[in-house]
Amino acid sequence: MDREEPLVRMGNIHKSFGVVKALRGVDFEVRENEVVALLGDNGAGKSTLIKILSGVFPPDQGSIYLRGKRIEFASPEEARIAGIETVHQDLSLVEKMSIARNFFLGKEPTRRIGPLAVLDVKKMNQDSQLAVSDIGMRIRSTEELVSCLSGGQRQAIAIGRAVYFGAKILIMDEPLRNLSIREQRVVLNLIAEAKKKGSSVIFITHNVYHACSVADRFVLLDNGVKIGEVIAGEKTPEEIAECIATGCMVGGEKG
Amino acid sequence: MSVAESRRGTLVHNVTLPLKERLRRKPEFGAVIAFLALFVFFSLVAPRFFSLRNLTSVITITAELGIMTIGASFLMICGEFDLSISGNYATAGFLFVTLGNIFSFPLGSVIALFVALGISCLVGLVNAQITLKGRIPSFITTLGMMMFLRGILLGITGGQSISYKGDSIVPTLLTGILAHRFRPSHFWFLCLMVLFTFILNRTVFGNRVYATGGKKEAARTMGVNVDRVKTISFMLCATLAGFSGIVAISRFNIANASFGQGMELEAIAASVIGGTLMTGGYGSVIGAALGAAIMGMVRTGLVMAGAPSYWYSAFVGVILVVAAIMNLRLRGATLEW
Repeated sequence: MDREEPLVRMGNIHKSFGVVKALRGVDFEVRENEVVALLGDNGAGKSTLIKILSGVFPPDQGSIYLRGKRIEFASPEEARIAGIETVHQDLSLVEKMSIARNFFLGKEPTRRIGPLAVLDVKKMNQDSQLAVSDIGMRIRSTEELVSCLSGGQRQAIAIGRAVYFGAKILIMDEPLRNLSIREQRVVLNLIAEAKKKGSSVIFITHNVYHACSVADRFVLLDNGVKIGEVIAGEKTPEEIAECIATGCMVGGEKG
Repeated sequence: MSVAESRRGTLVHNVTLPLKERLRRKPEFGAVIAFLALFVFFSLVAPRFFSLRNLTSVITITAELGIMTIGASFLMICGEFDLSISGNYATAGFLFVTLGNIFSFPLGSVIALFVALGISCLVGLVNAQITLKGRIPSFITTLGMMMFLRGILLGITGGQSISYKGDSIVPTLLTGILAHRFRPSHFWFLCLMVLFTFILNRTVFGNRVYATGGKKEAARTMGVNVDRVKTISFMLCATLAGFSGIVAISRFNIANASFGQGMELEAIAASVIGGTLMTGGYGSVIGAALGAAIMGMVRTGLVMAGAPSYWYSAFVGVILVVAAIMNLRLRGATLEW
């Protein structure tokens, strides 16, 4: 492994909710241009870990470094500004609005006509179409309402938008949930494309086979503890699934 | 269609949606059809309906209700209701008359106009604060506000009417009769239509109004200050309601406490007929105007066709329900309530 400082490093993270110890001293890192799959059974602490990273709540103990600099996020807003973007297909798109209008929501481009700041509709349509096609998704028209789109297309809008606005790390919590098999493949492809565009991706999944098709590295959590890490190709999907099921690494280099 | 070259070197086509689809998606599409159908209907049934004299009086009614309806639709698109608009309508009218009578200095009626509008705006701000800080539905907040304003008016006036005796600057500028019974209020209504269509469709704020009403959580996630957007919308809606009250009072020259009672429901009905969704995030100002025009047509058309004016409400009720169903069918499954 190289000595280079990772893009993000979370060290010794602890988090409790009342008596439930969701995370107990987890170390986690993401390197530049890397796809990391967070694996683990229900209640393993995967969501808690990424919510800490995306600023939803702070850790009880432990520290987070972004490019070697210690950071503390008070809100998801701050994490976003730092380039850590959580991609929600459901939570960040307004179905009754067009793709272009959704794409630029909150960061609408304008051009001046006399004293008026007018929405730059042409730029909105063009840039959103380009950004979405850049990550390998075809859409007929950016004037289409989001309610007409499939789950995979919606994720493409959300990912394309994050990449367009310069997100360094995309966080996706169960991006494949509720998708058809064909759509799942589409989204896995989107993750690979986002990586090609220079972003790092962290995604949570239950399904080892999904993870294996795109991830560079797997981080396995169980019961609030990191039970191991696997570099892509080191283990077969069956072996990784076995680790999750039993909660321990078999024949791994770390215990 | 626009074509651009992507960074992958392939050409990306961005199709402008076909006309048929774009029409279907226009909130006011159904209202245009309903408007034309009723227009033809009344022209055939009531001989004097299709005359310039009658049509201008239809526009006069339409303008007064329409100004209020633009505000009501705007706020509904933002995901909130205002039932106190009729209260605001009466309060602003009453304030304008009272202050206009007191302000005997030059431009007294102009000052009275702006003070009354300012108070309306303030009522909108109070509605917004109570709704957002108290975390209660705006339906409740503004129902309370409606009763409150109406009660205050009754208390102050004791049920007596007050006539306007101030200067004629504002009344002339708002409703002075022009050739063929056209009135300036028609022009103001048109200006407000253009202005609010522009705000909704071509400004950053408009984009955020749609998003806030369409899905508050998504708007918030994308960094939109949802409460601010709602507060401004409440204030715009209330100010427009106040303005429509002043326009109407200028025409009647008399104010009383029961002025415009029930008009909030007319405005909301006109919004729905015009294609605005009760759940927010979808609707248009043109639709609002058409909805108000349909109400105005029905009001005079029924009388001219010889039906007692009491039938107005029954007729509007039927149109409202039919329009709601028709709007849904036209749009298809992509835009449910």
